[in-house]
Amino acid sequence: MELIITFSIIVIVIVLIFILARRQQSAKAPTLLRPFSAHKALKGQVGRAVESASRLHISLGRGSLIGAANPVSLSAVSILDRLAQDGCANDTPPITTVGDGTLLPIADNHVRFAAELAGNSNRLPNGTIQFVADSNNPFTYAGGVTNVIQQEKILGNILVGQFGQEIGIITEVASRNQINQVIGSDDPLALAVATTATDDIMIGEELLASPAYIEGKPFQIASLQVQDILRVVVGLAILGTAVYKLVTG
Amino acid sequence: MLRRGLPLAIAVIFGILTLVGLLFGLPEISNLILGWAAFLAGIALFLGVVNLLAVHTSRFLRNRPVGGGNVYSGVLVISWLIVFGLGIADLFGWTNNAMNQAFQWVQVPLEAALASMLAFFLILSGLRMLQGRRTVWTTLFFVTAVLVLFANAFISSPFLPGSLNQLALQFRNLIQNLIVTAGIRGILIGVALGIITLTVRILIGVERPYNK
Repeated sequence: MELIITFSIIVIVIVLIFILARRQQSAKAPTLLRPFSAHKALKGQVGRAVESASRLHISLGRGSLIGAANPVSLSAVSILDRLAQDGCANDTPPITTVGDGTLLPIADNHVRFAAELAGNSNRLPNGTIQFVADSNNPFTYAGGVTNVIQQEKILGNILVGQFGQEIGIITEVASRNQINQVIGSDDPLALAVATTATDDIMIGEELLASPAYIEGKPFQIASLQVQDILRVVVGLAILGTAVYKLVTG
Repeated sequence: MLRRGLPLAIAVIFGILTLVGLLFGLPEISNLILGWAAFLAGIALFLGVVNLLAVHTSRFLRNRPVGGGNVYSGVLVISWLIVFGLGIADLFGWTNNAMNQAFQWVQVPLEAALASMLAFFLILSGLRMLQGRRTVWTTLFFVTAVLVLFANAFISSPFLPGSLNQLALQFRNLIQNLIVTAGIRGILIGVALGIITLTVRILIGVERPYNK
């Protein structure tokens, strides 16, 4: 039974994505996505960094690519990709810190590709991409990231990926240095802690939706629409179950 | 063509194989693939250590006086060398479990110290939030946090009457079991739906974050 349900969900999602993507491709006007403040803030970060001759700091968290945090980490990488392209084009590549070994090659790849596109691949400063600590030592990771924030001339602090409560230490140091912050995570505890530091927060699914917001491909937008449909279905299922339980006692 | 096509093919094939292994109860397939992935993750961790050393050795040797950053880098490199030396000594039997003992004596207390400071950082951060952003939501956030703190104190206080203890317990349970749990589940359901659609996009080859 479980197999049938899982298989059905996957097939339904794939079919819906294809149908809605076809509609997207044939639509004359682009679909408008719901605005959210963190995404707007991200767009403004690079511009401000270039104006003030500063760099952005992006931390991709501690989510391993071979674990359950893979989707969250990949979404964070898509944010890095866009910011690296904008930053390298203006000769201010973002300082990127990672808290898991598997994130290092992918982050390095994206930043170097962005530098190549901008024609300055040989001029990436030392420490542009840094492995800080292993994912099993969250507070060591937080300590390492705060060291980067303190040492470098940073205008914006972008924390996207998997974080836990150690994010509080990073945000506190960034706040003391009056650095703008954008935070995105899937961990409710990290999000609660981050709420005290900034308004620009990507809550769970908003972080996962960021590739669609950044690239805006028809398939990505279609998958957001599927997500909305699934959300309504899940919501109705929860309500229906609650009413059923209430009625039957 | 090959540069873009090969990683895409590898990702889609191994994604589908892992899914099939999990769906149809074939742990041999998924375990084999996860074993390879864990091996690659081990190599990535080694690269991470090399990166860490390269960045900090370079910073240390350049001797740039930016806020004493080179001193921290020096401490890191020297600490790494000491721990590495202890690991070698353990390996050859010159010392007994020295690397783990160094970890227990230095790393664990330092991490615990940082963790214990978190509560104070959060209070400061909450106060700063209330100063800088006075909205209905920030006020609600702060008031709730303070009330829950007081409720926790009242629950464990032996000096208060039992009825007040009970009231504090009910209030805390209302906040934690109903409002907080509902919020957390809402976030987690959203994350789960986001993960489903993102994973499907990767499986059908539409999303290629690994490929530049």
